[in-house]
Amino acid sequence: MNQILESSKKTQYSRLFRRFILLTMICSLAPLLLAGWAINIHYSRFAKERMEKMLRTRVEYHRKIIEFFLKENRTRLDFITQTHSIDFLTKKDRLSHIFKTINRDSWILTDIGIIDENGDHIAYVGPYDLMDKNYFNTFWFKEVMEKGSYTSDMFMGFRKEPHFVMAVIKNENGHRWILRATINTEWFRSLVEDVRIGKTGEVYILNKKGIYQTSPGSDGEIMTLASGFEGEIHDGVKFRFLETGVGDSQTRKIVCETWLRDPKWLLVVRINETELFEEVRHANRAALISLHLSALIIFIVTVFITRHMVSVIKKRDGEVERMNRQLMQTGKLASIGELSAGVAHEINNPLAIITTERQLLQDAEKRTPITDEIFGKQFAESLNQIDTQVLRCKHITRNLMKFARRTKSVIETVDVNVFIREVIELMEREAKSDGISFKSILDDKLKPILSDPSQLQQVVLNIINNAIAAHEDKGYGMITIATCLSKDKTGIVITVEDTGCGITDEDIEKIFDPFFTTKSPGKGTGLGLSICYSIVKQLGGNIDVESDVEKGTLFTLIFPFKPPEALLNHG
Amino acid sequence: MIGSKILLVDDEEIFCDNMAKLLQNRQYKVTAVYNGESAIRELEKDNFDVVVLDLKMPGMNGINTLKEIKKLGLFTETLLLTGHGSVDAAIEAIRLGAYDFLTKPCEIDELVEKIEGAWRKKDGAWKKDLEEKLKKVVESPSDVFKLFD
Repeated sequence: MNQILESSKKTQYSRLFRRFILLTMICSLAPLLLAGWAINIHYSRFAKERMEKMLRTRVEYHRKIIEFFLKENRTRLDFITQTHSIDFLTKKDRLSHIFKTINRDSWILTDIGIIDENGDHIAYVGPYDLMDKNYFNTFWFKEVMEKGSYTSDMFMGFRKEPHFVMAVIKNENGHRWILRATINTEWFRSLVEDVRIGKTGEVYILNKKGIYQTSPGSDGEIMTLASGFEGEIHDGVKFRFLETGVGDSQTRKIVCETWLRDPKWLLVVRINETELFEEVRHANRAALISLHLSALIIFIVTVFITRHMVSVIKKRDGEVERMNRQLMQTGKLASIGELSAGVAHEINNPLAIITTERQLLQDAEKRTPITDEIFGKQFAESLNQIDTQVLRCKHITRNLMKFARRTKSVIETVDVNVFIREVIELMEREAKSDGISFKSILDDKLKPILSDPSQLQQVVLNIINNAIAAHEDKGYGMITIATCLSKDKTGIVITVEDTGCGITDEDIEKIFDPFFTTKSPGKGTGLGLSICYSIVKQLGGNIDVESDVEKGTLFTLIFPFKPPEALLNHG
Repeated sequence: MIGSKILLVDDEEIFCDNMAKLLQNRQYKVTAVYNGESAIRELEKDNFDVVVLDLKMPGMNGINTLKEIKKLGLFTETLLLTGHGSVDAAIEAIRLGAYDFLTKPCEIDELVEKIEGAWRKKDGAWKKDLEEKLKKVVESPSDVFKLFD
């Protein structure tokens, strides 16, 4: 029964534990995680928007740089044609001087040349042997002749390598001549790629037809057609995502496209999305790790706090249960007390009659002695037995009466240590014959208490008697009696510890119940400890028992320095 | 004292009769009644040396009966028989003037001993009273008739 109760209590506490944890989790972790995740998502979006904006700005800015570069060079050529005559420029070393001056700081131009309206080179400075080349039929020659100024797309030309040219026309004295310069492809490529971001970033330029004007890196070669080119002209920077590769190698790229004004080239900046948002993702990860770490810490702390709380509740419950048990015990004893008084009185009357009947028989036998010897002997034996059994009943009723007794306590000052020494002295001889020795550990600093010494003696003697009886089968043992100040310092504690047979868990529940005894019939009435219990309670004290089967039993008696007010007034 | 007059009062009739027989066996003159009212009536009719009174009785209980006896102002001593539970009441009875008390069940010898004690007390008190009255008669012979009050 006890085991079932214990296990049901255990289940109850573990359910309570789980509920506490769940509630705390819902109340603390759920909002934390929700807020954490919401902030994180918001921050990610915000950070991504910032990154996109930054990328757009950089691409826009870079477009302006490229445009500026191209415009500057066109202006430069225009300036030369406007400020110098063809005669001047075709004179020895003049064009070479201009070429060197332009390339003084950086190798911007690959070559420079002057071409007449027939398409023939008049002057040329550069690494190629192009003086004898005629450009009359080339597309750029036609364009410049038509438009007056022209920047070509990349083409192979006579030199058979990708390059692009800028050309301006001048009309001088009715004759037109063209100043043409080839932009250093490498220099231009490095200028374009200057905006490259990160390891996976790619920057290139496409013309209106989608031909690579600079080397695109991984996806193709210069002057080849770019795949997926739409050719739609738009203002500003267009931002789009591009899925490349398949399966595991699939990557998502961010593509920023912006059209240059002249020539109509498309500046493309591509970067892997993972790389661009790496920092955001890193920050995200760090935030999430901290968030989850905090949640974990809260969880652990919750578990610890809850465990502590449940153990406190368990302890309190235990105390309440113990108090309830004591209350029940007191109530039970009170009602049994009332009953006992009535029962004892009712038994006493027939006992008194039996006693008088026995005495009448004795009187009659005295008057008329029994002549039959056997009958006489039996008669005497029976009278003796009646006497013995009446005495036995009388003993029981006397104990019952003591139990129910509401006599006035005689309150005196009691030095507990002196009192204990007297009790030990009283019991020592009896205990010695059973092979039991006494040991006392007395706190000499204890102040005397106000109590009823005879009742105190009755309680302590009863417990010691039981302790001696607990050694019955052993034939040796020790009874340790100790005194000390109670924990709350409002009274004294007397402990009686024996090395006897101990009390089983089942018996310990009923130990203070009247008529409960483990002694053989006729040896004990089972009223001793219940009387002790009622006396201790009457004196405002407390009695508790702990026991270990085969190891021994410990009785703890607590008495206040002052008994209850009612008892003091009564006394 | 052989021949002393004892009034036994107990609602337990068998006990009362048995006690009466036992006391009679020991040469006492015993009257047994079973309640307080009858006891008072008997005391009004006759003189008794010792009254053995049960404490717990229906109707007029031992204490009330004792009070009534005391009101009669007789030269009689009262012994109380009680169960253990009414020791407090027995002490109260002694305060009211009872000679002593005995707890039930008791041995006849014990009761006889107490009766003897009570008789001696009653006898002493009676003699002392008589001496005082005689003294008064000697001092004032006209008071001789008061001896028979």
